[in-house]
Amino acid sequence: MSDPAVLSAINHRAVDAYIAKLRRRQVVGSREAALETLRVLRQVVSKARFSNIEQLTGIIRGVGGRLVEAQPKEHSVGNTIRKILHHVRDEYNAASKATKAKESRSERTEYSLANFISQGQIRKDSVWPTLHQPLAEDEAPITLRENDSNDPDSFAKVMKPVVMDAIQDVLDELETVYDNIAKTAREHINPDEIILTIGHSKTVEAFLKAAAHYRSYTVIVAETGPSYSGHTMAKALSAAGISTFLVPDSSIYALMSRVTKVVLGAHAILATGGMFAITGSLLAATAARTHSTPVVVCAGQFKFTPLWNLYHEYGALDFADPSSVLGFEEGALVDKVEVLNPYYDYVAPDLVDVFVTNDGDHPPSSIYRLIKETYDDEDTTLEYKSK
Amino acid sequence: MPPKSSAGKDKDLATEDDVLQAVILADSFNTRFRPLTLGKPRCLLPVCNATLLDWTFESLVLAGVQEIFVICRSYPEQVKSAIRASKWSEPTTGIKIVPIITSKECFTPGDALRDIYTHGIIKTDFVLVMGDLVSNVRIDEVVRIHKERRKVNKDAIMTMVVKESGAVHRTRSRADYGIFVLDSQTSQCLHYEAAVGYPPTRRVPIPRDVLAEHPEVEIRNDLIDCCIDVCSVEVPSLFQDNFDYGDIRRDFVHGVLTSDLLMKDIYCYVIKEGYASRVSDTRSYDSVSKDILSRWTFPLVPDDNHPGGHAYEYLRGNTYIAKDNSVVLSRTCRVNANTLIGAHTTVAPGAVVTASVIGQRCTIGPNVTLSHAYVFDDTHIEADAVVEQSIVGSGVRIGEGARVERGCLVGDGVTLGKGARLGAFERVSRRRASSEDEESDEEWEEVEKNQGDTSAILGPGSNAIVWPKGPSEDDDELEVERFDNQRLMRIGDAAADLLAQAEADESDSSEDEGDESDVSSFAPLSRTSSFSSVSATTAATQSSIAALSSAAAESEFLSEVTQSLERAFAEGHSVENAAVELKTLRMASNVDLRRVREAVVAAIVDRVPLTQDFAVQKREIARLVARWGPLINQIGGVDPVETVEVLQYHCAKSPRLQLFGPLLAQLYQDDIVDEDDIRQWHVTPAARGEGLKPGALLDGVKYGWVVGQKLIEQFDAQESDDESDDDDE
Repeated sequence: MSDPAVLSAINHRAVDAYIAKLRRRQVVGSREAALETLRVLRQVVSKARFSNIEQLTGIIRGVGGRLVEAQPKEHSVGNTIRKILHHVRDEYNAASKATKAKESRSERTEYSLANFISQGQIRKDSVWPTLHQPLAEDEAPITLRENDSNDPDSFAKVMKPVVMDAIQDVLDELETVYDNIAKTAREHINPDEIILTIGHSKTVEAFLKAAAHYRSYTVIVAETGPSYSGHTMAKALSAAGISTFLVPDSSIYALMSRVTKVVLGAHAILATGGMFAITGSLLAATAARTHSTPVVVCAGQFKFTPLWNLYHEYGALDFADPSSVLGFEEGALVDKVEVLNPYYDYVAPDLVDVFVTNDGDHPPSSIYRLIKETYDDEDTTLEYKSK
Repeated sequence: MPPKSSAGKDKDLATEDDVLQAVILADSFNTRFRPLTLGKPRCLLPVCNATLLDWTFESLVLAGVQEIFVICRSYPEQVKSAIRASKWSEPTTGIKIVPIITSKECFTPGDALRDIYTHGIIKTDFVLVMGDLVSNVRIDEVVRIHKERRKVNKDAIMTMVVKESGAVHRTRSRADYGIFVLDSQTSQCLHYEAAVGYPPTRRVPIPRDVLAEHPEVEIRNDLIDCCIDVCSVEVPSLFQDNFDYGDIRRDFVHGVLTSDLLMKDIYCYVIKEGYASRVSDTRSYDSVSKDILSRWTFPLVPDDNHPGGHAYEYLRGNTYIAKDNSVVLSRTCRVNANTLIGAHTTVAPGAVVTASVIGQRCTIGPNVTLSHAYVFDDTHIEADAVVEQSIVGSGVRIGEGARVERGCLVGDGVTLGKGARLGAFERVSRRRASSEDEESDEEWEEVEKNQGDTSAILGPGSNAIVWPKGPSEDDDELEVERFDNQRLMRIGDAAADLLAQAEADESDSSEDEGDESDVSSFAPLSRTSSFSSVSATTAATQSSIAALSSAAAESEFLSEVTQSLERAFAEGHSVENAAVELKTLRMASNVDLRRVREAVVAAIVDRVPLTQDFAVQKREIARLVARWGPLINQIGGVDPVETVEVLQYHCAKSPRLQLFGPLLAQLYQDDIVDEDDIRQWHVTPAARGEGLKPGALLDGVKYGWVVGQKLIEQFDAQESDDESDDDDE
């Protein structure tokens, strides 16, 4: 049985429009997609009608499910939705706990070893509704009144500002993500280092520019065919007064012996600690491993994706059109040669030394833990489950 | 909240004054896909499991089009219901689709555009596309450029979108293409000439003024014409004014560019990035499907933005399998590269599928081989069957052990019996139940009547009829639609024999090169002469089919002109009216001005009665020339030298040889030709009959020359009387 209120919210106009844009690749890039997701979600929630937490999470999950299905390769869309869900549940649990505490204060005073252990567990109490199963009776409708037949909107009235706040929090985090990552740049880059980077990642650009305030160092930028986004990166860096070299991709290995650090951007960071990054990253990371050069990956936390086995999926590399590799006008070749132009490389966790995020520096091996803390387990797959 | 992405901004730009309208001509106006298009329109044929119409809509929506008119002619109800059922008619898509049904009498795109004009739906600049477009081009960019150009130049009525490809490209039609003459700086299209694959077009006439007026010109034979035209409002009205425009390229573009009256400009937009192509024949069906599977159309690829809304998983080797886990692939079947398999399809053990597209709910039996095959929905292929380079319609059942060789088209609902043997390029369709009241179709009925014993081909228990192979008796007059040329548009037809033959012809004609250089000395004869007319005058020496066909077109034109002049003479039209009529005829059949002149002169000469009474004859000549002589100079250009020459040659050919002298004298008297013209004519090599073979014609021409000689002597005598001056003769 599906809930009409939830369904109508999921099928909101803004969602359809955004789905079309995602499918047509009119919104590209992790941060752009994440920002747009938040804007759409804000529109949906502001119009939606819901009278209990299940409906509310159902709406958010449903929207997320549709968006992820439309464009599974923009991982930040799903991550943003998961993060919002996590926030909403936290807020809800805090509110309902407060309500509950008012009602049954006496139960809480008892301290026992069992109680202590359960409280010491990570976030176990916030996983809802496993601990609060008989919900309707359990809830004291003082601050939160769910399923109130007299005033069905009372729950929404309380929760809507909460959700909006959560969305705003995540928005703020996204707005400041570059600054927060760049803050630690000074600690990562030493004077007179030679840094190699690839592609044009906004995060890496901010990171390197921030470091340039304190240190003088050299950056080698690989051209990064077939998109040649290295060209714009090199221009941006040299405009900021950093000594910059632009080199062809083929010389990455030859130059690696002189490079002291490889700084890469990421498209998505998986729970394994591996990542998807622009084509050529695997080449650079492998070369760096051969020369034991440290590989530093700069990425916002919104790129943490609670997926493990994407690298088994061939299509996850996002194969674009072959025209940038082989011109369409090469008529005689087009018929005989199959050209593959993957947009991303999968870089295995053992090739990465550290992830520099807006939430501190982490080795690949602890990414799974961060992901567990950031998102709720039940949201790993997003879809609206009608019961 | 306004969308912040760049696409949103572009959309605002495109709509700054009005909504962007698009017109889809959802009819092919030809029968290249028969028998697949029996019972359904071409635009509903699936390409990679989405209908062509869906691909076209997606291409347009990508460009920010908000209002789409779909012009449908055949099976309009099906098109309408398909639009209604598709995701495009949902309110959230933000586009408005209006199907417009035209009459059955609409035979060309030109007719359709005239229909649009009468509907009066076009308010502003619009995008005109065919209903078989697959494109990921940002058309809105072209629209923006077009609008900017319109602000400067009101006469820029159209921008054609063309895609750069090599001269040889699987997606570029070998049989029906265009030569574009572009200005390198402004990319204005200066001249357009349609070309066909067989008989191969070798010469393309380019008007001299094009080369004279533009310092830098590109002549390009490497463009794929995507048939995406950004048109201004005038375009439909131009079609309305010129009732004989049929094809948009061959008639309209060529007509507008060669017209000395319209003074309109057409521009080209050569796309460097992006993909656009039409599915105009079965060969391009094959190549466009392959382009989609090799992701040239990205992001319009099955796993990303499938226009039909299906979800596919992209696997190694450009293989796409429906994502909903409904596809059953047996452990021992082989699915090779460049394959797409629709939902709920089963592939049995031992089957081998290579570079094929399989629709939804199909079953592929054990040990079946599919190679470069296109199988529509709900089709069952039983054990050990082989299908190669063919298109198999929906709901087809192919029996055990059947073979479908390359190039076959199997219509919807056909059942092929056990062990059926369809030879190469066979076309079969379902036999109609008599009760079915479908649109009547003469060709279909004809085919049904002429069925011999086909059980060997179709196998036992088949419900199919076999369509005739080879050229039909009433082969189309239109060069593009002729059978040999059509062969170049068939799926799986390399047409090596045709191309070899064309090659052989080429070497023949290169041997004729010596003749050609002689011919080119004729060129200064007429100022408007173009290369094609030169070759036409020597048609007799060349037995090439191209020349013959142009001769056929000319003879048709000549008979038209003769009839029109006869009417004019008989009904006593004014000279002006007759001239207008002749101009129209000339533009309609696109012939050289010289031909018109010849026709007018011939008509006058043939009016003169042959009598022995010279006084009567002279009076009659005087009357005729006085009445109709001025027409010679009103047909669109004044060239008295040519007039005399035409008169000479016509007289030489006809029994009215003696009339040349009196007629020339009369023309001189009436100031249609003057003395200098006669002198000029007299010294040309043509007047002396150079280059002609000895025979009656040469004798006639010689006689004319002698007569001219006498006349000039008279002039000289007069002159020496008047001025007693020296003379250069």
